[in-house]
Amino acid sequence: MATLVAMSNIIRGLVFAGVGLGLGIALAILLTGITGEPLAEPAIALGYLLALIGWLLGVGVWKTWAREWIGLTPNGANETGWNRYFSFSTDHKVIGIQYLVTFMVVFLLGGLLSMLMRLELIDSGTVIMGADLYNTTMSLHGIMMVAVAVATIIGGFANFMIPLMIGAEDVAFPRINALSYWVIPPVVVLLLLTPLFGGFDSGWTAYPPLSVINANGQLLFLLAFITFGLSSILGGLNFIATIVMLRAPGMSWSRLPIFVWSVFSAALISLTATQVVALGLLMVVLDRVVGMSFFAAEAGGDALLYEHIFWFYSHPAVYIMILPAFGLWLEILSHFSRKPVFAYKWVVGAFLSIVGLGFIVWAHHLFTSGMQDFLHIPFMVMTELISIPTGVVFLSAVGTLWMGRLHLKTPMLFALGVTFNFLIGGITGIYLADVTTDIHLQDTYFVVAHFHYTMMGGEIFAIMAAVYYWFPKITGRMYNETLGRVHFWWMMVFYNVTFIAMFWVGTEGAMNRRVADYPPDLVTGNLIVSLAAFLLGASFLVFVYNTVSSCVRGQIAPANPWNAKTLEWQTSSPPPVENFPIPPVVTADPYGYGEADSEHARFEPSIETSPAGGGD
Amino acid sequence: MSANRKHVLAAIAIWIALSLVGYAFAFGYVPTGLLLKGGASVQADVVDEAYRLLTILAVPVFTSVLAVVLYGLLRFRANGEPSDDGPSVRSNTPFTVLWVALSAVLCTFVIIHPGITGVNELRAYDGEDVDLVVNVQSARFAWFVQYPEHNIKTSRELVLPVGAVTRFYVTSKDVIHSFWIPAFRVKIDAVPGMTTSVVATPNRTGEFKQDVNFRLQCAELCGVGHSTMSIPVRVVTEAEFETWVAEQTPINKVGE
Repeated sequence: MATLVAMSNIIRGLVFAGVGLGLGIALAILLTGITGEPLAEPAIALGYLLALIGWLLGVGVWKTWAREWIGLTPNGANETGWNRYFSFSTDHKVIGIQYLVTFMVVFLLGGLLSMLMRLELIDSGTVIMGADLYNTTMSLHGIMMVAVAVATIIGGFANFMIPLMIGAEDVAFPRINALSYWVIPPVVVLLLLTPLFGGFDSGWTAYPPLSVINANGQLLFLLAFITFGLSSILGGLNFIATIVMLRAPGMSWSRLPIFVWSVFSAALISLTATQVVALGLLMVVLDRVVGMSFFAAEAGGDALLYEHIFWFYSHPAVYIMILPAFGLWLEILSHFSRKPVFAYKWVVGAFLSIVGLGFIVWAHHLFTSGMQDFLHIPFMVMTELISIPTGVVFLSAVGTLWMGRLHLKTPMLFALGVTFNFLIGGITGIYLADVTTDIHLQDTYFVVAHFHYTMMGGEIFAIMAAVYYWFPKITGRMYNETLGRVHFWWMMVFYNVTFIAMFWVGTEGAMNRRVADYPPDLVTGNLIVSLAAFLLGASFLVFVYNTVSSCVRGQIAPANPWNAKTLEWQTSSPPPVENFPIPPVVTADPYGYGEADSEHARFEPSIETSPAGGGD
Repeated sequence: MSANRKHVLAAIAIWIALSLVGYAFAFGYVPTGLLLKGGASVQADVVDEAYRLLTILAVPVFTSVLAVVLYGLLRFRANGEPSDDGPSVRSNTPFTVLWVALSAVLCTFVIIHPGITGVNELRAYDGEDVDLVVNVQSARFAWFVQYPEHNIKTSRELVLPVGAVTRFYVTSKDVIHSFWIPAFRVKIDAVPGMTTSVVATPNRTGEFKQDVNFRLQCAELCGVGHSTMSIPVRVVTEAEFETWVAEQTPINKVGE
């Protein structure tokens, strides 16, 4: 019964979604009845659109928000206890946990899919599945992990931590924040349903004409991606407004924790670039559902156009993923080296340069696409220029730990792991920015290994660092340090074996990516990759056991177990609903390590407070 | 400050040692896949040389950061709970400027060579006459190679005479494919509605049976048959090529 009460919002959402689905399908039957078009795709598109609206209204938008649009009184009170995690809560800490748990589940599912892929690729020929199922598995793995990479830090950790770190009570737009989370479950459901609709075999990039002519599962993917984009845009908007407007008194831009800067930089991209890809995906939807021909050459369309639109978002998107990881990396290196973030202002400049340059490098994904030759050199130049700000971030990392007091707790181990892994990821990126070498390496396992070194070796390792670093703050309990270290070394070793071997498979055997099968000559390399990948996958069993059991039985955490100076550690673990019983007044930056009497913030009840960014 | 100098010298020593190990790998004294090998075209030589140069430059960059991390793990390690602080060093402007300047120099170097020079070498035949033209049509999930001068067409294999500057005109009948011959290091997408082209000059004989890199492989995901959308490539002598051409059944009319 208690479960039923807790789930009442979800159940209402599902009922409303069902009604919306029915209405949408009815509308599609009516329209296709008139035009004589096939029913399936219009029914999916309209059914989903109205189901999404129904879901959002039912799950909480109506109760807490939409009622006031027609003059009724909204019920804005947040639920308490376990119920709040299943409700349209506007508390940024609840939303952060909703994001984190959801995306950890998606991450583990995506990881499971990669295990299936490696099982299929363990030998030449068919091992466990046919090429069609493999393509769907690979495509699902891709989009799920992209979603994890985009949303886990910004939606999860930034949501929970940014208001705390800047001394605010919540984000600028708490209801938009809740909305940005509650569009995620439909995304996950759509993606998981794709295999029932014939799957989709065009990867996460969904290049037309393939993505226009393939099974209905493709449409589910497109709708899911557009919906996810909406979440990302809303999140970006919220973090920009929050960081600009809600900083505590005294929290000037130069005193912001570096993680806050990194999220701010990423939010600039996710607010602006995401809209472009949503448009591109919508054009594919229209090609499929309405029979338009934006990308159909035989009817005057242009297949290459999509590649430009797609990468105009999707290259900046890798910086949405990696910039917050840079922030986490430097933040954790600083607190566990007991030294200030080295060259702080240079790093801020580097983050903003990466945002700017990130927008004008997209066509390096198109060196072999048949686009005009004269575009090759400018895009190569822009891309290689990014190595300079990225080098500054590395300078900061090595400068921070140099002469420090390195406390090798689990978060620090993972941060050092990022240093090693992203170094390989960054350097191999130069080979792909260079037109000459890219022509050969494009679409091989060299590329697969490269982006896993940046996205998994860089970002996922940073996410793991953050999970352990903030575990005490979020759950109020300590994780098991020994198991944490076991997880790190296990993951680090087999991660590197897996992906180093992948570079080798890509260069030595010239194995191309996204293939369900390969010539028998390439068996040895693939066998090594597969075996290492299974062991890498197994390391997450340690992670899951440690986090779940520590949530329940871990030692009660103190407010500040790491003796760190940023604001989130200056309140209880977990923090109270209002974050700080007495609002902080910031007096210095949070990196005063080695300085006598350094104090980041003062908590005095008498001081009159108003946000630094808010004039009124 | 002298303690710092001692640390710096030690880290530099580790850097040099690691770089030497890196070069031992890079130049094949230890067998690895660090360099591209087995190229079979003039263009492959350009690509492989660019790859080699990037690796030469990458080794010391990689080992410099690695040296600091390793040295830090050895010498700056602290035990117990985090409480004792390191020195309050927030920046070191001369060193930062030096770092940025060095990375800018390195970046500019790489942009010019192998970057721009490599592109120009690969485009040497733009607008020039070539020895042989091959029209390559792709369709899910097959390759059709047509030799307009010899009036023949096949989908079984791609046969080329060694030394011939060959231009491939690539088209697609359905979705995007990509024309890739790993041994030649050339790749160009086959895009519906467009004709793309690429030049390769095979400079040694070889065939798929001996080297898996001699294959024409689709390199752009095109659906269920993508992984097997591949035909063998055979590079033969001029005389063998003429014999092979004579054995083929001529097509009655020249294809489009």
